[in-house]
Amino acid sequence: MFGLFTKKKDYDATVNSTETITVKAGENLLKTALDAGLAWPHDCRVGSCGTCKCKLVGGKITPTSDFAYTLEADELQDGYILACQTRLKKDIKVEVELLS
Amino acid sequence: MKKLLINVRYWLAPILIIVTLLSVIMGGMFVWVGVVLFGVGIILDTITMPFHPPGAGFDENGDTNGMPALQNTVMYVMLPVFALLQVALAWRVMQYVDGAVIGEATMVGILPFQLSGITGVELVGAAISTGIFAGIGIIYGHELSHTKGFAFVISRLMMGLSGSSHFSYAHVYNHHLELAHEDDPATSPRGRSIYRHFWLSHFGQSKFLYKMEQTRLSKLGKSFISLDNRWIRGYFMSLPTMLLFTWAGGAVGIAAMFLVWTISNFELEALNYMEHYGLIREKGQPIDYRHSWDNSNLFTSWFFIEIGRQGDHHDRGETHFWELDEVGSPDARWGYFTEFTVALIPPLYHMVMKKKLATWDRDFATEGELEIAARINTQAGYNMPEGHDSYSPI
Repeated sequence: MFGLFTKKKDYDATVNSTETITVKAGENLLKTALDAGLAWPHDCRVGSCGTCKCKLVGGKITPTSDFAYTLEADELQDGYILACQTRLKKDIKVEVELLS
Repeated sequence: MKKLLINVRYWLAPILIIVTLLSVIMGGMFVWVGVVLFGVGIILDTITMPFHPPGAGFDENGDTNGMPALQNTVMYVMLPVFALLQVALAWRVMQYVDGAVIGEATMVGILPFQLSGITGVELVGAAISTGIFAGIGIIYGHELSHTKGFAFVISRLMMGLSGSSHFSYAHVYNHHLELAHEDDPATSPRGRSIYRHFWLSHFGQSKFLYKMEQTRLSKLGKSFISLDNRWIRGYFMSLPTMLLFTWAGGAVGIAAMFLVWTISNFELEALNYMEHYGLIREKGQPIDYRHSWDNSNLFTSWFFIEIGRQGDHHDRGETHFWELDEVGSPDARWGYFTEFTVALIPPLYHMVMKKKLATWDRDFATEGELEIAARINTQAGYNMPEGHDSYSPI
């Protein structure tokens, strides 16, 4: 609720050190990636299947749901996030196995 | 103006919920208004069966015709309205238990307000009306369960008013993942009645959140018995309602509360029942448009804020209702009110759905799904005679 009073900004996400996309304020990482034409693996799009998971290697994000419901303990510790449940707090770098 | 009208059409339910609240306050025979409105809903839904308007759609610039600030405000405001509905009923319970003398009605404009006292029969009417329209709250509890932050909390609180705040999690993490498979308690297999589905789905979803919290808290090294446990916290959200009705009328209050909870949860599970009845998916296979029934006739679409566009919703779960559209899912070809009425008579419902599912098996099912269907059809008595022609269009 208090997010209503903070200024929302767009941030960049660099994917696999090769591609940079701009994630608009309020949008999630997966949607932006798919709109940009990236073959990002996904299925449920509501944070319950884990198909869209990627590794956060730099920057800050805001999770919009609890990743612990879907990701394993070691994945959480290794910095994995769910792209469909991620909004950017700063510019980020992620690694993901894109579909060929 | 066009945009405003498109948005206002989704206010059918909120307006009727407020009318029901007013009717409980008015008392006397007006307490039955909620029941009457439900009957009117059945008639209007049936009459509008042939009409299938599109969703809210987009304007010439490609912008949504939905007005997010307006629609979100309406949804948030419904939480205090539902709370007031319970307070109004609790007040009536208190009057009944205290033996308040039934006085003369007070005219407020043209409306008579029977503010003092209520008969036992009228109290039952008030409770049924409250339950019916508290149950309609599922449409907002559902929509907000797919949103983030503050709005999700509103969903939990709204569902908590009916003792089912587990829904907000079970719907997202269980139903959206396991749809049309036996691991989804909210999907009814062929042959099951709406009555059996009611309790299997309700308790199945609560059990799901219980187990999910066990796993999550264990991963995080936290105790199951703690305020970190969202399953437990959900039931705490129902505590104010329980305390209100207990304080208002003791055993009578609790009975009124259970009547409201039974009706509202029955409606919630009826929606789950109708949205995916008998549809089949193999474990591990992607969820497709064919795994949902669309119910998109005019009255259902507007009253239920496009919740009937299940095919699109299960593809884009976090898309707002005003952006949902027709995607080619099998269409049940009747509205929710109509289908609900038929479902209350299981033999009649099975007779109708058997033919629709025969068409689904023929036109939509994959080979793997057909294998499962063959087994389930035998169990459910849904096998059709060889060479039959009893297919219903879907």
